[in-house]
Amino acid sequence: MSEETMYQHLRREGVTRRDFVKICGLLAGAMGLNTFPPLRSSGLPQSLAGEPNPGSLVARALASKPRVPVLWLEFQDCAGCSEALTRSQSPTLIDLVLSKISVEYHETLSAASGFQLEENKMEIMKKYAGKYLLVVEGSVPTGAPEYCFIGGRSAEELLLEAAKGAAAVIATGNCATFGGIPKAKPNPTGAKGVSEIVRDKPVVNISGCPAIPEVFTGTLAHFIVFGALPELDRLNRPLAFYGNTIHDRCLRRAFYEAGKFALSFDDEGARKGWCLYKLGCKGPTTYNACASMKWDGGLSFPVQSGHPCLGCSEPNFWDGGGFYQGQSTPLSKPTLTALGVAAAAGAVVGAAVAATNRSTKKHVTIE
Amino acid sequence: MDWKGTLEFARGPFFEVALIVFVGGMAYRLMRVVLLGWSRDRVPSKGSKLKGVVISFLKGIVIWPFVPWVKNTFGKKPVMYLAGGLFHFGLFVIIFLGTPHMLVWKSLTGYGWTTLPLPVVDWLAAVTIVAMAALFINRLVDPVLKLITGPAEWLNWLFVFLPMVSGYAMTHHLISPYEMLFSLHMIAVNVMLIWIPFSRISHFMFYFFSKTIHGAQFGKRAVTP
Repeated sequence: MSEETMYQHLRREGVTRRDFVKICGLLAGAMGLNTFPPLRSSGLPQSLAGEPNPGSLVARALASKPRVPVLWLEFQDCAGCSEALTRSQSPTLIDLVLSKISVEYHETLSAASGFQLEENKMEIMKKYAGKYLLVVEGSVPTGAPEYCFIGGRSAEELLLEAAKGAAAVIATGNCATFGGIPKAKPNPTGAKGVSEIVRDKPVVNISGCPAIPEVFTGTLAHFIVFGALPELDRLNRPLAFYGNTIHDRCLRRAFYEAGKFALSFDDEGARKGWCLYKLGCKGPTTYNACASMKWDGGLSFPVQSGHPCLGCSEPNFWDGGGFYQGQSTPLSKPTLTALGVAAAAGAVVGAAVAATNRSTKKHVTIE
Repeated sequence: MDWKGTLEFARGPFFEVALIVFVGGMAYRLMRVVLLGWSRDRVPSKGSKLKGVVISFLKGIVIWPFVPWVKNTFGKKPVMYLAGGLFHFGLFVIIFLGTPHMLVWKSLTGYGWTTLPLPVVDWLAAVTIVAMAALFINRLVDPVLKLITGPAEWLNWLFVFLPMVSGYAMTHHLISPYEMLFSLHMIAVNVMLIWIPFSRISHFMFYFFSKTIHGAQFGKRAVTP
């Protein structure tokens, strides 16, 4: 099966040539391809290097490359990222990439279960060693491993085992990328993101709660087509999707500039669609594609629907101050007791210094 | 550089420490000033000291700054009068009536209030920054100021100027990433908070104390020994 190209595989699955070309254009768009990755490292034939059209580049790549199997592991997660993917509004694309092209193992979606499924996973790992793509959803409990065991083995053990033979690892959702909600204070399970555990493999972080399906698909497609990972930012997120803040692309940005803010969720400003900064919007420090790609097939995204951005694609967003607390406010403040103690200590030191000064003062008597 | 982490530190523990040092430091300074010594009040006053205090504050804050021709404050030092006045006015408006700053007060004290629209505060911020630049040049060229200006005066200027420019740059997203400017703004503010009690910027509090004491003296009607 590994010799069959993706195009041949799709034709066998009933996809027409016409649909195939359409899908390739979609994929190129989903990848955010405005510049091509370095072709020499991607393993594509040199004849394609001069290809001017991203859509046909993708088409030719898919027609000449074998399919890439994907293993999908779930640890401390809510399956929300999988849910978001399966309920995505671009079913052809998601369906194509996930079910027709690649996913071989998925705890929630696989029809088989139990030992059979685990055996299949081991087989895939052996057969495609060094070639398969590992997708991880959910954080890994390292402090208290007993919180996440699958088939009698700990999450960390399963992750390291699967990562060993993977070509690359994609962490999807805030839990797998940065620890997410399980890592929120006081982090009872000692949860960690994948990149803190897998050190010897390239890990791409598709953060978000959940990750935007199209962003995930685009990144996956990039790997499948070019055999290489897209350009990443400092947190290992694909730059094509995480290059701008929500604030930079926000449709309410003009109101921010004009100083027009909603002050509550039911005032005139809220009804007129003014900026949500004062209601705690984390848009200025949150990097994601929500404001440009949006959700539900480009229908809307939280800020458009009237809710401030929570900053869910950033590390520790759960502990970064209240969701409805303005971003300018301090994250922690001293207690009244601490301030009282500080004031008292200051006063005592002041009095002591003053007393010392007085006692050493020379009294001059004027005759 | 991990600006996100820096920002969390500057908005969290660093801010906390800065505020504690600020409060402790101001208490220390107040104690030192109070214990410098008081002359004993041996003669009963026939006038009202309170009236003297009220008049003193009215004259100092409400009357004289707005009628500069009476005492010729503008004529004598036009730069000092204009730039100094605008700087203090701008600073007050930005700190208390700028929305992001009001939210800080609200989170600290639990009380919020109506704020001015961003463009108004924004223009005032620009005016304040220009005023600070003018005061800087004034300090460089004024012969008297040159004599009494030491490193502490320049640092006073710097520690107020840095929060001003970083805040302005941040509001306008002049340099990305935003977290970097936000971090720098918070660090500058924290450094200023720590610096204030041990510098002459503490006049923001001592001004009111000395004005009160002077007012009480002015209000006193008695034969002073």
